[in-house]
Amino acid sequence: MNFDHLHLLLNHVPIIGFFVGVGLFVASFTGTNEDLRRSALIIFAAVALVTIPTFASGVGADRSIAGEPGISEALVRRHEGAAMLGLWFVEATGAAAVMVLWRSRRTIGPPRKGLATVLLLAIVAAVLMGRTGNTGGDIRHPEPGVTRGAAVTEGPVGSIIHVFEPTPDGFTQLMVATKWWWATMMVLHFVGLSLIIGVVGVINLRIMGFAKELPFAPLHRLLPLGMAGLAINVVTGMLAFIGMPAYYAADIAFWFKLAALMLLGLNAAVFYLTGIFHRVERLGPGEDAALSAKIVAASSLLLWFTVIISGRYIQHFEDSLRF
Amino acid sequence: MSAPEFLNTLERSGLSTWIRESESAFAYYFVLVLHNIGLALLVGTCGVLGARLLGFVPELPLPPLARFFRFIWAGFWLNVLSGIVLLIAYPTKALTNPVFYVKLVLVALGVWALRKIERQLSSHAAARDATPAVPRSLALWMLGLWLGVLTAGRALAYTATYILYGKGT
Repeated sequence: MNFDHLHLLLNHVPIIGFFVGVGLFVASFTGTNEDLRRSALIIFAAVALVTIPTFASGVGADRSIAGEPGISEALVRRHEGAAMLGLWFVEATGAAAVMVLWRSRRTIGPPRKGLATVLLLAIVAAVLMGRTGNTGGDIRHPEPGVTRGAAVTEGPVGSIIHVFEPTPDGFTQLMVATKWWWATMMVLHFVGLSLIIGVVGVINLRIMGFAKELPFAPLHRLLPLGMAGLAINVVTGMLAFIGMPAYYAADIAFWFKLAALMLLGLNAAVFYLTGIFHRVERLGPGEDAALSAKIVAASSLLLWFTVIISGRYIQHFEDSLRF
Repeated sequence: MSAPEFLNTLERSGLSTWIRESESAFAYYFVLVLHNIGLALLVGTCGVLGARLLGFVPELPLPPLARFFRFIWAGFWLNVLSGIVLLIAYPTKALTNPVFYVKLVLVALGVWALRKIERQLSSHAAARDATPAVPRSLALWMLGLWLGVLTAGRALAYTATYILYGKGT
């Protein structure tokens, strides 16, 4: 698989996405532009999702260009460290954005503290994504005079950020240092999986017509429980990936799982942003959902089970891809 | 203490060997997938039900929510069956590990807690009581027990003394 090209295709999304998102978000504070603010929050959440395969494809890209003449190992490691730091701020911004979107539906006016948190995280994430892009660009197009094997020089901003960047190999070794830490992460990943399937299953089955006596609105208030499960699994999943990057990147089942996850993002966008949700939200006891809602609910269930099944098949498909 | 001989006999049987050694995607990992889906149905639905019983989203009516019990039992029986197949594949690995017996005890207690909750909910539904009262402590026990089953099940992968008959880790 050509990870080099996949990475080059995906890596523009987090950088441009966060620059545009921060711009829209800041602009939304001049006056009270609710639509602009909502758009910025949705962009943060969407970019947080796409950043996962972007990060993962970097490992494949690294393996496929490693050893090529003119590629500096030090520059690759610096880029990897920058990505490993930036990733968490992008994910945290996405999570905070979803929380603010959730809370502003139920309260009059958006929560101020939540908005401030998103703004702060988004600015840090945008700076770190800029740094990640720059260090990544340096791999193929190093500064004039920098030769393979030469020490990496940092500018004033880069040298400050570099203090906080993890050493990629060190981070990896930390994750696999003891089997008990790994076992704990896997238990948490299964707890998260249960929370997601429980909440998503109950909500989607109700939309599809099971247990119709349930009014939809209170049922939908279970969603934070499922989102907590998703948060647990994004964190434990990414940590597991960092623990064995080459193992996951060379696995077709892993990429199938990520693809299903991306489609779930698209599915959620269709559900919440096209008006389907507004019609479903009013369903009282005994009322039937529209066919469009049932289709979206069924595809959500199908995709979540695809995520579980392909996740479980990762071990079976070890080494199924060539870099 | 050496492991009993019947584990060796079972392990050498055609079915056990096939599940373990077949290259087919429908052998060992397929059974694991089924066990995983069962877990998701069982623990996932328990999680939602338990959260509601502990007071999360109190405006959600309980009697219709209790209809999801059928997914709990579907997950349970799927895992009894897939669990038996996994046990046939690796009898020594499971039966020589104390954690496996801890898991079985927790499963039994978890089923007891679930059945007790189910009975209390259905008796209230029959009496047309809008707000069935299930003690919070019972809901907590139910959640804790199934969390324990999940943890013990995961731990089986890390605590085995023998993987196959006569082969230590």
